[in-house]
Amino acid sequence: MKRYWIFLVLLAVAISFGCKQRMVTKPEAQPAQQQKESEQMQTKAPEKVTEAEVGSKVESVGSREMEMERKEGKWPDILFDFDKYDVKPKYKDELKSVADWMTQHPGARLSIEGNTDERGTNEYNLALGDRRAKAVEDYLVSLGVPSSRIETLSYGEEKPVCTEHNETCWAKNRRAHFVILGEGK
Amino acid sequence: MTSRRAGITAISSLFAAAICFLCLFLASSPAFAKVYIDITSPQAKKLPVAVFDLEGPGGNRIADIIRDDLTFTGFFVCLDKASFIESASQPFDPGNWTPLGVEAVVKGTVAGGANLTATVTLYDTLEGKAVFRKQYQAGSDLLRPLAHSIADDIYTALTGQRGVFRTKIAFVGVAGGKGGIYITDWDGRRMKKIGLRAGTVLSPHWSPDGTKIIYSAERGRQWSIYLLDFLRMTEKRVFTSAGINMAGDFFPNGNSFVFSSSRKGTPDLYTYSLTDGSVRRLTSSYGIEVSPAVSPDGRQIAFVSDRGGSPQIYVMNSDGTDIRRVTFEGSYNTSPSWSPAGDRIVFAGRRGGRNQIFTVKPDGSQLMQLTESGNNEDPSFSPDGRYITFSSDRDRTKGIYIMRANGESQKRITEKDLKALGPRWSPN
Repeated sequence: MKRYWIFLVLLAVAISFGCKQRMVTKPEAQPAQQQKESEQMQTKAPEKVTEAEVGSKVESVGSREMEMERKEGKWPDILFDFDKYDVKPKYKDELKSVADWMTQHPGARLSIEGNTDERGTNEYNLALGDRRAKAVEDYLVSLGVPSSRIETLSYGEEKPVCTEHNETCWAKNRRAHFVILGEGK
Repeated sequence: MTSRRAGITAISSLFAAAICFLCLFLASSPAFAKVYIDITSPQAKKLPVAVFDLEGPGGNRIADIIRDDLTFTGFFVCLDKASFIESASQPFDPGNWTPLGVEAVVKGTVAGGANLTATVTLYDTLEGKAVFRKQYQAGSDLLRPLAHSIADDIYTALTGQRGVFRTKIAFVGVAGGKGGIYITDWDGRRMKKIGLRAGTVLSPHWSPDGTKIIYSAERGRQWSIYLLDFLRMTEKRVFTSAGINMAGDFFPNGNSFVFSSSRKGTPDLYTYSLTDGSVRRLTSSYGIEVSPAVSPDGRQIAFVSDRGGSPQIYVMNSDGTDIRRVTFEGSYNTSPSWSPAGDRIVFAGRRGGRNQIFTVKPDGSQLMQLTESGNNEDPSFSPDGRYITFSSDRDRTKGIYIMRANGESQKRITEKDLKALGPRWSPN
């Protein structure tokens, strides 16, 4: 790979000379001088950069997730309409039971993961997933759960529970998903 | 542009092209005043050219690349070798070409070995003389960049415009459930993966000098913005917070970029300074503000907002003032990106249940649909504004495509089995 970069630098230099001389139409007058220039080029030490260095120098990002206990499936997902992030009234009872459980388990932390269907575009879907997770968080906070015990995370369209391309599937994927991060005492 | 390029110091292969262009600008000689084909005219007729296989090892491959490059632009027709009257070894004689309607002829030689040396001459058949003669050197593993450089020079000599055949496209590739940044030549060749993998990776954004990329990724349940520096060959996290953080474009100075973050609640737009790490808030609304794109002069930002009830494209001054809506047709318009001249915005709009690529003027006029089949997303312009790259699922697995800015010649450049998205054309 080192060679790759070195040649690129040489090529760059070669081209730059080439550009200056592009109007020359007498080929026979050319070679001697070009030879000389390319020799000069060789003496310039190219920067030795290799792609292998990327991995070793990269800042390591701690993974908090690994240390955490995760419990999913205690409550069903909260579902949303297409391109919407308002919590429907029908989830009132479920969210009340989530809030009650959190009150009974003061050591527990809750993660709410926002998801979207596959339609639409990546970045907007991530924002939409974020809004869905936050909408559910806001609801729980309004029921007395401290926001410090809730974290939200958006996966956008990346974590579908259903992978067919139809409305039945999409409806299941437009969801806020609960994950209990450690139940505490 | 020239001073910006002059600041570049070394290694990336993009650099080679930049230097060459710099030379062209410095040497903007009157000899190049003749324009063989006015590509700014929509009615321009294709210019017939004859490209000989270069004499020597690999010479036919080099010529094939040159022909492919010129043909893709839509401005040239490369004459079939079978109809050449003149042979490669015979001296150039305009009388052999004018009857065939050929206006330019490319001849040359290549000497092989560990290093390739190609000598190429471009002839004008009407004036019966050489337009330029030039020597190129490269390692034998860089045959393709060498051929692209030749094609760039031919293109510039005949059109008076810069070529993009040495440019690259960065995109997100997904394999084994993990995403990573890939870089490929604009024609999809010499693809390679760089940087780390992550659960989800979003579209990369080039620095104006082409030496850095910023992108967003979710790693360890956290959305962060990463900076990949090709000069230092490092990748580091530059910004993270609770919620989502999604990188947008660099500003023209290359020292700061715009991004969308939900750090204060709802996704809003912010700027981040790489110089001092300062963060400045540009918008604050109850809804979603996402996908900020900086205009080429740095004065405006196009973005997506749902403040009107559905996601639409808006433009504002880069200090966050004077917000005005750009798109009115359709109920789902996202992913804006500016043309290099700042005269058009390309975006993905949902029509009939599928996402298509459109361009529109920043004032909302002259809406143009460019794609028809499959879902087409993440569009951005080439640095000369003549082409657009985007992602599409029209051939099942989502891949990277390129097309002319008017929608012609749509072509997949990534392999059929690699899931690829979020392409961005390099600035040089």
